[in-house]
Amino acid sequence: MVKRVINYCLIGMSIIAFNPYLLAQSVDLDSLKTKELEEVVVTATRNERTVGALPMPVTLISKAQIKTMGSVRLNDVLTEQTGLVVVPQINAQGNGIQVQGFNPDYTLILIDGEPIIGRYTGSLELSRLTVGNIKQIEIVKGPSSSLYGSDALAGVINIITERPTSTRGSFSSRYGTNKTIDLTGDVSLANDKMGLYVFANRYTTDGYDLSPQNYGKTVSPFANYTFNSKFTYKITDALNFSLSGRYFTEEQKYDFDVVSGDVKVLTSGNGNTRDWNFNPVLTYRVSPQLKTTARFYTTHYKTTTELKAVKNDSVTYKDDFSQNFIRPEINMEYYFNEAQILTLGAGHINETVQTSRYGDQVERTQQTNYAFFQHEYNPIPGFSIIAGGRLDHNSVYGGQFSPKLSARYEASKKVTFKISGGLGFKSPDFRQLYFNFNNTAGGGYSVLGTEVALARLTEMNSQGLIKAYVDDPSTIGKLKAEKSIAVNAGMRAEIIPSLITDINFFHNSIDNLIDTQIIATTISNQSIYSYRNITRAYTQGMELNLSYPIIKKLTTSVGYQLLYAKDKDVENNINSGGDLSYYRSPETQAVGQLKPSDYFGLYNRSRHQANFKLFYSDKQKGWEGSIRIIYRGKFGLGGIRGNIQGEVVPSSDRDNNGILDSYDDFIKGYALVNLSVAKTILRKIRFQAGIDNLFNYTEPIYIPNLPGRLMYASVNFTFNNKSNQ
Amino acid sequence: MNTIKSLLTLLLFIGFSGGFVACKKDEVAPVTLSGNTIKDLAADPPSGGYNPTNGQPIGVTKKYTLFSFKTGAQVANADSVSSKWDIGFNGTNIIVNSGTSGPGSASALVQSGLFDQITTAPDTGYAQDNKAATPAFYTITRGSGKGWYNYDQATNLITPKAGVVLIFKTADAKYAKMEVQNYYKGAPAAPSSTTADRYYTFRYVYQGDGSTKLN
Repeated sequence: MVKRVINYCLIGMSIIAFNPYLLAQSVDLDSLKTKELEEVVVTATRNERTVGALPMPVTLISKAQIKTMGSVRLNDVLTEQTGLVVVPQINAQGNGIQVQGFNPDYTLILIDGEPIIGRYTGSLELSRLTVGNIKQIEIVKGPSSSLYGSDALAGVINIITERPTSTRGSFSSRYGTNKTIDLTGDVSLANDKMGLYVFANRYTTDGYDLSPQNYGKTVSPFANYTFNSKFTYKITDALNFSLSGRYFTEEQKYDFDVVSGDVKVLTSGNGNTRDWNFNPVLTYRVSPQLKTTARFYTTHYKTTTELKAVKNDSVTYKDDFSQNFIRPEINMEYYFNEAQILTLGAGHINETVQTSRYGDQVERTQQTNYAFFQHEYNPIPGFSIIAGGRLDHNSVYGGQFSPKLSARYEASKKVTFKISGGLGFKSPDFRQLYFNFNNTAGGGYSVLGTEVALARLTEMNSQGLIKAYVDDPSTIGKLKAEKSIAVNAGMRAEIIPSLITDINFFHNSIDNLIDTQIIATTISNQSIYSYRNITRAYTQGMELNLSYPIIKKLTTSVGYQLLYAKDKDVENNINSGGDLSYYRSPETQAVGQLKPSDYFGLYNRSRHQANFKLFYSDKQKGWEGSIRIIYRGKFGLGGIRGNIQGEVVPSSDRDNNGILDSYDDFIKGYALVNLSVAKTILRKIRFQAGIDNLFNYTEPIYIPNLPGRLMYASVNFTFNNKSNQ
Repeated sequence: MNTIKSLLTLLLFIGFSGGFVACKKDEVAPVTLSGNTIKDLAADPPSGGYNPTNGQPIGVTKKYTLFSFKTGAQVANADSVSSKWDIGFNGTNIIVNSGTSGPGSASALVQSGLFDQITTAPDTGYAQDNKAATPAFYTITRGSGKGWYNYDQATNLITPKAGVVLIFKTADAKYAKMEVQNYYKGAPAAPSSTTADRYYTFRYVYQGDGSTKLN
């Protein structure tokens, strides 16, 4: 203790030196630090491990932090984390998550370790998930296919929901801008043997309109309901059973201007989305050393959209998509001794999709069998290794082995090094295999999945509909899984007492990326596309997180991510002065040659991203507050195209060479300022108010998922059965 | 101290090498051949505009606009079965007078580079159109991003690809280089979807002495 005080004085940190609570504070600081490192996460190893002991980059977002931020949907929480960017999906609508520069399709999102389905445009809509029942969010960066299989290229986001551990209940209601109302209630009942948790949420909003001069709204009004429950039963001391379920339903009311060529048709209609899941889990502790778990996860997702012309009620657009996913899995964890732990698991996935976009009512299926292992080994104190791998065999694309190796070395109490390398993959999705989709609303082009393309093209050719083949259709082959080999290497250090520095360098080398490619043109000059494994890319950079408690109650943190995300073939072409290395000046139309440094990289990636946060909490007086500043550096748009309220999203590629370079238009960097304040009285009633996006920053066409300033106020009641605590 | 010194040396060295590269770049080759620019060569523009529902052109002749580099002028379509023309335009399609496209003996190749910096025509690599092949082969490849232009689906705009230079061996065995600069009437820098299209603005250099020298 004395030593710590002396250290403070020596480095002359005046804020701390003048703090009268210094002595008391030191105790708290110690416990705070240890507390953070000792938080238990399950995503990184599939077993309960403390954050501090893990050799890979893991971020933990606690319920307390989410509550202080005043967030209600998952996208609100994730958008404020270092290295995560919430970006619109492929149709320029909605919210997906970008991790280490990967598109949203490449991050696996789980609830309690089980995948959420419904990626019908490729990525998952984050606003489908309420945060009211979340205990914590765990984010593992870097490929995690060695434990989770397909889709875990960039990383895994695992949402851990509440469990019934005590008898308590809460109800909260929140009202905000755009008539957004969030009502949340939960009840938890528990005794020594059994527990029951029930949660319900209703979220309604009027949406928002960033371009009032155009018909309809940027985000149309919607209402959704989430129900979630969990039942736990301790059959014997060694045998535990739990059953959890979720039901979600949403209805959105659309008013659109459907643009086709020069014709605009006013339309209105409904979008409905529904998902549910059901997960019985049986855990049996065979001996103090062996724990086994069996689970049977079932989930369903369905969305339908129907739009009708306002003037004559004729159907202008109809789309439906339904998906089922069933996964039985068993796994076991064996403790040889303190130094060695082995995890083994095996499972089967049966997945089906049925959608109007495949041109018929036939249900498509895919089966995957898999097995994985993981060995945790601590040869000497302070040094640990985790080696693991998973073998997946899929009925469509074949076999895939994903290894991962991680190591951690505690050089001293203050400095820890971490390194991990692994392979991640994403199997071709149903869209890329079975699409038979003619987009009449989007100009009449067609997209054919690789499994159906040849037959469909032959059929069209025999009908005389094909004008010319751009590529020989017989070369459309079986798609291979997209792969990434990655290395994450970092350090956690506390050189200056209490100033915790976390740094991680990452490199992801991505191969076999599936891209659309034109294969033929029709007699009416429409393009027909299919998919191929053509693109190679990389993302690399650095993530830095600093946190420091200025005083006992006030914590500050800074986060920064540097990112380079580039297409390897484009980069090589430009570096060697190839055909892609030219640009046409948009002003003078003069042609020039790009320097290698002119190539900015992939669309929708910011080179710099940063955040600065202040969190205040005085438990005794019941006050909490936060100031969060979230910065996103300049980026270009072009990969994601679509219509926003009848206006075409312009490409940043102003010099029209298909490459994002220094002569193009960029969307300027911006910072969002979010504030919140809360006061708890009588330990039961909590009032909160806040403003997100204080300075009302908007980019109506380029960033449609960013509403303007949002103000809100909420009240929360908590009931506790004290005898249970 | 030592480190600082070597750093300085390194900086100086970089400074010098940078200067050296800059000098090399600034060298300008003397221009001997004068380039010509053809403005707004109509390549079958639709007289009735475009069908708003399917985007098809209305009122097109489907005939190619023919051009001779030697005369620097358009060749009447009546002379299509002759060697009087080198290159033909219809919409975004460009044909070369030979193979399956015409009775002539012209051939062409596509080279990436800056127009002014291509000073010599290659000796080999010239090809003729063959629409009977699967897929049909055109010397100036058709389709967005493949030949001379990019097509933006969202805005429906055609933009000439930067750095695409077409090199011709003409019907009279002379060499020429050509670069499409604009596809819209009046060659606007920023055309809109309503600007009249199918009007080629291009520049070319024709070497009349039979040599491969193109500057």
